[in-house]
Amino acid sequence: MTLEVKNVTSGYVKEVPILSDVSIVAKEGALTGIIGPNGAGKSTLLKTIYGYLRPSQGDVYHDGRSIKGLKPDQMLGQGIAHLIQGHSVFPAMTVEENLELGGWIIKQDRRALASALDEVYEHFPVLKNKRQMVAGALSGGEQRTLEIARLTMTRPRTILIDEPSVGLMPKLVDTVYEEIVNLKTKGFTILMVDQKVHKCLEVTDYVYVLRLGQNSHHGPKEEFVDSIEDIIKEWI
Amino acid sequence: MELSIFVQLLVLGLVRGSMYALMGVGLSLIFGIMEIVNFAHGELFMIGCYIMYFVVAMLGLPFPLGIVASGLGLLIVGIILEKGLISTLRKKAGREWLMDSFVLTIGLMVMFQNLALIIFGAVQRGIPNLVAGQLVIGDVVFIYDHLVILGLALLTVGLLWWFVKYTNMGKAIRATSQHSEAAQTLGIDISRMYSVAFGIGAALAGIAGALLITLFPANPNAGMAPVLKSFVVVILGGLGNIKGAIAAGILVGLLEAYAVFFLAGGWQNVIVFSIVIAVLVLKPEGLFAPAGERP
Repeated sequence: MTLEVKNVTSGYVKEVPILSDVSIVAKEGALTGIIGPNGAGKSTLLKTIYGYLRPSQGDVYHDGRSIKGLKPDQMLGQGIAHLIQGHSVFPAMTVEENLELGGWIIKQDRRALASALDEVYEHFPVLKNKRQMVAGALSGGEQRTLEIARLTMTRPRTILIDEPSVGLMPKLVDTVYEEIVNLKTKGFTILMVDQKVHKCLEVTDYVYVLRLGQNSHHGPKEEFVDSIEDIIKEWI
Repeated sequence: MELSIFVQLLVLGLVRGSMYALMGVGLSLIFGIMEIVNFAHGELFMIGCYIMYFVVAMLGLPFPLGIVASGLGLLIVGIILEKGLISTLRKKAGREWLMDSFVLTIGLMVMFQNLALIIFGAVQRGIPNLVAGQLVIGDVVFIYDHLVILGLALLTVGLLWWFVKYTNMGKAIRATSQHSEAAQTLGIDISRMYSVAFGIGAALAGIAGALLITLFPANPNAGMAPVLKSFVVVILGGLGNIKGAIAAGILVGLLEAYAVFFLAGGWQNVIVFSIVIAVLVLKPEGLFAPAGERP
């Protein structure tokens, strides 16, 4: 499923657009990264795609259909999941309850829910062992694993990721990027916003650079290997 | 102390405690999910008293119907208040939401009290008893009403516990109160959860008002004393902690019952509020916050 942002203008107040005329394509089965300095509008872009903000101009398409105007709680039903910034487990609920809530939109279909749970436990055995533990008692890395596993319960096609390493201990950062690459190899379309430019370039297939709320550069990551230092210098 | 007095006070304390628990759990549920302090919670209790009086004393129907009517009535009132006023305000107010919610719920409190005064007058409307009679075992007198109140309060809290712990909607409410943004990304309609939680909190206040009408007759100020003590319960139990609110409610009820018996009148309030102040200073997360778990 391709996710396409087309000529979007968006912001928190109508008179002050944060993004103007931004276009982005996240191709099916690929990991697309969005980088840029602080204030470039990366988070605003994710918020606009996921329905927290409504674009004043332009449109957002998933699998060719417009998803503009849908609310955040309707997005998973469209096959779009969102890994939000920072820790997002339900800390006082068990690992299993967390996962079941990941299947909220398929809760009527008990059999589908049970098989999704089995599948998650198969992919993430650590969660199976700790399924009766409250999520808040897991280590930081395990919590992130749970957050990622929880998103896959309804088998979405596209995953939006916001700053995957924020709030994590440095030694866990590599593991998290590995899990994200794993998701890609399982066929998910991934759009990731990341401040860790070099880390992002290592794992992505295609890169967009935003600057001051507008498209600045984009291309396959190979094109950035040499030019990235110059681009970063421009930001400062 | 003689055993009979001890048991007698235990029952009295548990009866008061069950009221505080019902009120406190509702307040705590609402605070936990919406982060607002519902100052009008006592007035929801008061409306429950009047519904009970209307159904039992005026229509002459059996008292269980009055309790069900109060619970359902307040569930509806709560959902209407949340959908009509609170959610509208939350969407508009943004960051100033906390202050605005204070003004809103204090305004509702004053409005409901005065509406009751205008409509029903400053008259106490009580019911002499739900079930007449008493049970005497040795030196201990069990008034049937007290046993009924205790039993039904226990049943109500048990039902709430089951709902929150095991039903899908209960789980979604807990999820929303623990991380609303994450709940939303999983497809949970969080504004619906706010309405349901507020409605349930209101229903618990209504049931408390209905259950305790033999002790606290319906009048425009009926909610004032219960709500003050429920805030105590919420603070002792830990903000947003449902288990804590149940335990703290019973604790406050028992403390009051024994203090009233052994000390001069008024000391019960001094003791309870001294404990609250001590908890606020020394253990602000509440007496019953489990280690490592966010309240």
